[in-house]
Amino acid sequence: MNKYRKTYFLLTCAVVFMFFFSYMLVPLYDIFCEVTGLNGKTNISKAIVLNETPKNRFVKIQFTSNVAESAPFQFQPFKKEMIVEVGKIYNTSYLLTNKSTDIKHVTASPSVVPSQNAEYFKKIECFCFTEQKILGLTTESLPLQFIIDNKLPLETNTLILSYTLFNTTNQAGLK
Amino acid sequence: MNTNIDNVHDDHHHTPTGIMRWITTTNHKDIGTLYLWFSLLMFFIGGFMALIIRAELFEPGLQLVIPGFFNQMTTMHALIMIFGAVMPAFVGLANWQVPLMIGAPDMALPRLNNWSFWILPFAFTMMLSTLFFESGGPAAGWTLYPPLSLQGGDSMPFVILSIHMLGISSILGAINIIATILNMRAPGMTLMKLPMFIWTWLITAFLLIAAMPVLAGAITMLLTDRFFGTSFFTASGGGDPVMFQHIFWFFGHPEVYILILPAFGIVSTILPTFSRKKLFGYDSMVYATVSIALLSFIVWAHHMFTVGMPLAGEIFFMLTTMLIAVPTGVKVFNWVATMWQGSMTFETPMLFSIAFIILFTIGGFSGLMLAMTPADFQYHDTYFVVAHFHYVLVPGAVFAIIAAVYYWLPKWTGKMYDEGLGKLHFWLTTIFVNLTFFPQHFVGLAGMPRRIPDYPVQFADFNAISSIGAFGFGLSQLLFLYILYKTLKQNKTVEDKAWDGAEGLEWTLSSPPPYHSFETPPKIN
Repeated sequence: MNKYRKTYFLLTCAVVFMFFFSYMLVPLYDIFCEVTGLNGKTNISKAIVLNETPKNRFVKIQFTSNVAESAPFQFQPFKKEMIVEVGKIYNTSYLLTNKSTDIKHVTASPSVVPSQNAEYFKKIECFCFTEQKILGLTTESLPLQFIIDNKLPLETNTLILSYTLFNTTNQAGLK
Repeated sequence: MNTNIDNVHDDHHHTPTGIMRWITTTNHKDIGTLYLWFSLLMFFIGGFMALIIRAELFEPGLQLVIPGFFNQMTTMHALIMIFGAVMPAFVGLANWQVPLMIGAPDMALPRLNNWSFWILPFAFTMMLSTLFFESGGPAAGWTLYPPLSLQGGDSMPFVILSIHMLGISSILGAINIIATILNMRAPGMTLMKLPMFIWTWLITAFLLIAAMPVLAGAITMLLTDRFFGTSFFTASGGGDPVMFQHIFWFFGHPEVYILILPAFGIVSTILPTFSRKKLFGYDSMVYATVSIALLSFIVWAHHMFTVGMPLAGEIFFMLTTMLIAVPTGVKVFNWVATMWQGSMTFETPMLFSIAFIILFTIGGFSGLMLAMTPADFQYHDTYFVVAHFHYVLVPGAVFAIIAAVYYWLPKWTGKMYDEGLGKLHFWLTTIFVNLTFFPQHFVGLAGMPRRIPDYPVQFADFNAISSIGAFGFGLSQLLFLYILYKTLKQNKTVEDKAWDGAEGLEWTLSSPPPYHSFETPPKIN
């Protein structure tokens, strides 16, 4: 009978392990991408910039925006397009209008195209790092400070930064 | 294989009669029968949904159903066919055949076996009941991709909990099958003497153990994302919808081998019988099956080449996917070599098995085309994909199940089916299955997306052909039902060894086998 029990025990352990393994996959994918450098993800944390010097190379940056699930917002880039010098810090902003009369919480999720160059678009200061709060019927300017990394591959001359704005008012209520 | 049975008696066992016999049964034959009837019922329900889809697609424009309901049909058709028809049918075959083929008296865990079956009707009642909800059933596709699946109606938690139940049922079944095969083989039956069907099921059971909990994890994350504010996949909370695809297909790709490996085992059993030769390359068959199973865990992202992966990732997944063609090719060549110079006869199970080899190989080739990353950008989410996976699942898995039923029906019931009707069933099924799915390759390559209720007029002719084929295929299966009815009704009985070329322990028992067989294990020399 012992032989049987051992089989059952090992198989049950395997099932339990695989269930938790599915949760472990979430951080494991990130670690894997970090270690191997395989990544198409857009960073959403503050970039630390050291010793970047302007390289007299210019690229075009286009800014776009989306509002998820038709929330009551108007959300647009201050400038739709900028010609920037690689290795130099720039400031721009997005304009957010709350068309409702209530206080709203919003989160913006960034995305860079082409995605394999996302890591060279470094955001030093960005409204997308934290949740934003906006009063009813007001317009706010959300600041963005960025730098294009010197290591940006030479064949790339245009980057598109897109933000999708999510209404997180309900989630804010949960917290 | 020489066997020695000296003990057949079941008079001291007390079994309830009527409905309670089926509810309380712990007998592997009863449970196998329950699984098989249940999967046949689900096959017809899922097939009915497919016919709604094909009726709507018969001509361009919206005629019969609204798009929302159409999406519910595509989603439910897939869930029912995968979890309700094909998987339970294989488990049913395993229940009947594993103890008979390895000389064991029953499954290792008979009560658990009962439970793993009886979970299924409840799970599917819950899943199907969502179709009557005000917000309708699930409509985001069986893959349940967020963010769409998170935005669905009230059906979502019900569907997820029913998938949890189906997962529990499969896992319990898998534990049972592994425990039985590893511990209850007749003395002398070493692992490398196991019948091929048993080998493929053993490996399938390990795949179930490894893959189903990952599915459970992925859908639990969906559930907590929607109701408890976690943000595994919700972009507004910093989650990543693509992460779901990675986790889902980490389950999903092994799952497709769960759906086909037992079919390989069935074909490897039937071909030698009707070729009157031993299976060619038994050892290489075992190793090929193991390699397919191992490779299945490192190819998942070929389902999602278009999400924006790094080039290195796409190349890796393309090459590993193509690598699977090698062990699969070994199997196909071994089957052909088994038939080579055999004294072949073409009874219905053999016809279905030969059609399996040809049509499954077509499905395998379109799979190779899809594996090529640059080409996949054109094929992704088109009818070409639909044609591909229906070729491996319908003339693949379903044909093998039908072949297995025809092959072992005389053993299970002691009665022979009508060979003429069986052949008619085969030809109707084979012609209509190709009529249904072959034109879908063409519309797919021409750019028709999957999961749409309406389409541009240039796809009209091929879709009409496809719909005619689907109705023909569906109606042909009613003939199968009649053949089963006619077989069970008749009084003629068959010999213990119903097929003269058949080998294996199950043929040493009477037809039908006694309720409790192999109470004393047979000896294998």
